[in-house]
Amino acid sequence: MSTQLKLKDEEVQGEVSGQSAEARVITVAVAGNPNSGKSTLINAIAGTRLHVGNWAGVTVEKKEALFDFGGRKIRLVDLPGTYSLSPYSQEEIVARDYLVHQRPDLIINVVDATNLERNLYLTVQVMELGIPVVMALNIYDEAQEKGYRIDTAGIQQMLGIAVVPTSATKKTGLDELLGTVLHVVDAPNLRVPKRLNYGEDIELASDYLAKTFQISYPALLQRYPQRWLLLKLMEQDSHVMKELGLDNLAFLDQALHHLRRAHGEDVESIMADARYSLASGLTREVLQKPELRQTELTEKIDKIVLNRFLGIPIFMAAMWLLFKLTFDLSAPFGKWIGAMTDGPFKRWASAILTPLGAPDWTVSLVNDGVIAGVGSVLVFVPVIFAMMFFITFLEGSGYMARAAFVMDRTMHSIGLHGKSFIPMLLGFGCNVPGIYATRTLENPKDKVLTALLVPLMSCGARLPVYVLFVGIFFPKNSSTVIWSLYVMGILLAVVMGLVFKRTLFRGEAPMFIMELPPYRMPSLHSLCVHTWEKGKHFLFKAGTYIFAVSVLVWFMLNLPWGVEHKRDSYLGQAGAAIAPVFEPVGFGNWEAASSLITGVIAKEIVVGTMGEIYAPKKDEKKGVPSLREDLKEVATTFGEACVKAVKTLLYLPQAEEKEEDRGGLNLAIQGAFTPLTAYAFMAFVLLYMPCVVAIAAMRQEFGTWKWAGVGLLYQTALAWTAALIIYQGGKLLGLGG
Amino acid sequence: MIPLGLLSAGENGEIVEIAFAKGEAGGAGSAEQEKSLVRVEEMGLRIGKHVEMLTNGGSTILLRVDEARIALARRMAMKIMVRR
Repeated sequence: MSTQLKLKDEEVQGEVSGQSAEARVITVAVAGNPNSGKSTLINAIAGTRLHVGNWAGVTVEKKEALFDFGGRKIRLVDLPGTYSLSPYSQEEIVARDYLVHQRPDLIINVVDATNLERNLYLTVQVMELGIPVVMALNIYDEAQEKGYRIDTAGIQQMLGIAVVPTSATKKTGLDELLGTVLHVVDAPNLRVPKRLNYGEDIELASDYLAKTFQISYPALLQRYPQRWLLLKLMEQDSHVMKELGLDNLAFLDQALHHLRRAHGEDVESIMADARYSLASGLTREVLQKPELRQTELTEKIDKIVLNRFLGIPIFMAAMWLLFKLTFDLSAPFGKWIGAMTDGPFKRWASAILTPLGAPDWTVSLVNDGVIAGVGSVLVFVPVIFAMMFFITFLEGSGYMARAAFVMDRTMHSIGLHGKSFIPMLLGFGCNVPGIYATRTLENPKDKVLTALLVPLMSCGARLPVYVLFVGIFFPKNSSTVIWSLYVMGILLAVVMGLVFKRTLFRGEAPMFIMELPPYRMPSLHSLCVHTWEKGKHFLFKAGTYIFAVSVLVWFMLNLPWGVEHKRDSYLGQAGAAIAPVFEPVGFGNWEAASSLITGVIAKEIVVGTMGEIYAPKKDEKKGVPSLREDLKEVATTFGEACVKAVKTLLYLPQAEEKEEDRGGLNLAIQGAFTPLTAYAFMAFVLLYMPCVVAIAAMRQEFGTWKWAGVGLLYQTALAWTAALIIYQGGKLLGLGG
Repeated sequence: MIPLGLLSAGENGEIVEIAFAKGEAGGAGSAEQEKSLVRVEEMGLRIGKHVEMLTNGGSTILLRVDEARIALARRMAMKIMVRR
């Protein structure tokens, strides 16, 4: 994605050079508090033209849109939502670095009209940059409903910036906002926001600093917005000082001497107070609130949802509903995709390739390698999109923040706070969305730690392995055995959480502080946009990583050329080579080892590989259906999948499905494993390295292989140790070897 | 003057002191505490502000500051002093 963004930058620059002012692209940065309705506003303006990527090098989301308005080209760049521009979080640093170094033509400052004072605190800081500012006074409709009276002309006059009331949810004021943006860009006298007076002492110090700086470092004053630079120097902002390579300036101490004597040592606080008193003074001037405050619906709902006793049960119920809806709705479609890739797609590939004179091995590569491999992952597309849809709904509605609030205490026990619970929970469906969901955590340490623990949650792909083995060895207590594996994953996550907290992630956890947004009904449009943005990474990976690995595995299973027995293929040889490692844990045979090797693509492939190895399929001599029959099958089975999804949702009875016949495989496994080794094997499959998709997701989220590598190593070590304890312990207890 | 964390649900108070260990020399975690102070102030919890306790129970409390609902760790709330 980042390359795509870069490309666009180049295009934009290409257009700038040598063209008239009208054709120039106007770059507008959008800044505002979290929960100020900034995202909704941008969605309402840009719609489908919105591109989502990451800011270079960090996992902070970057949204951009390029569009025409009033015959001009406007590029909107959404800055991360922040409460200020201090150097204390990744989001704030991203936002201010962009504003300082990229110098957009204009800043739209989105302000929540119902929370004027706190939002104006950011406005004051944004104005320091000397870039033209237009204020979108958002959520204006709600402020009016509450009986607030806001003197917009007053704000305009006192700050010297244009103010446009907007309502992003009702899509009002948007054209006026963009019109004002163009007007301000074209009117040189409106361009620079007023220089606000921070009080005599600060201004005197700033003037003194400006004079000395002009002599010593004239170049810096050219490179940076002067007002901003001076204020940051006075605050001794760590990020700026580091960037400039300045440290302990003697004249800085001189400039601050009087200020410190009059107000105390901590200049940063003095400045923060100055900005805040500007914000609150302005609020007092322009805002009139009604005498009596009405209790809002949000507060009434919160009384129930956040209740000490009801909070957790309600949360559990919400999660149960999330899972139920996700899996019930998506399962039929997943099965449909599986059936399609298995049947018609393979037949079509053969039908296309064979007449072209392709050798048999090419057909097999395409069918058994590419289509089977990629297909086994595409099966998860419906479940991932469905889950992302419901999560987006919970986020957009405001409940997700409440879930973090409710679960905070529980998660504290493993050194994480409430927000980490959601990614872990998603991990039970599929680890990949769980890892992506760590994006919602602010603290980079929490993100990494949570992502490392997510793969211990037993995902849906491990289930086929359990089902196969439990069916053979523990038919009487199947559900208890499977449940015990899920519990093992959770307990080990608690243990590993504590271990990591004491080793890799030492240091005091940042304290929990979070705003709970008001409950809102998210629009279907924004739900779809965000679901797509979350889910598309998965599709992209199926098309790249998985494709490559599938081809590789196929070659491993079919080389050296003309290999007769799977044991002699490269995969078989590799399995045989590493099999001794599994000797002490109870399954030191090449078959199990080879299955585990392929299982890293996706854990359910373990079952598929075992099927290949233990019980090679006989050639089916059924009649090949025609293309027309195939197309008909594709359409009718899709229709059936839809009907089934609706039926499951409504609890309508359905016909029982026929179990696949695995007779030969069952017998072979019965010969190769005992109940004890089977359990050790299942535990190993649960715990050993995350599948390649999960690893790729970690790589993508953290921009480095480091954490994916840590996850890979610790989990494999953990898996081996756990299997060893189970197997050797079991033998000691006389459970049979 | 009592710690904010001791207000019961429905009670109001005015913040008079935020006693995080600011500028404490050499203390481990003092940078984190400074960060927490900045965070708390940015969220609108400043000296002189009126707050209402919405939910108090468990390790996290919920406050109303103007029209915003702020969830806060109890151990932070114990270091913020309010006048009822």
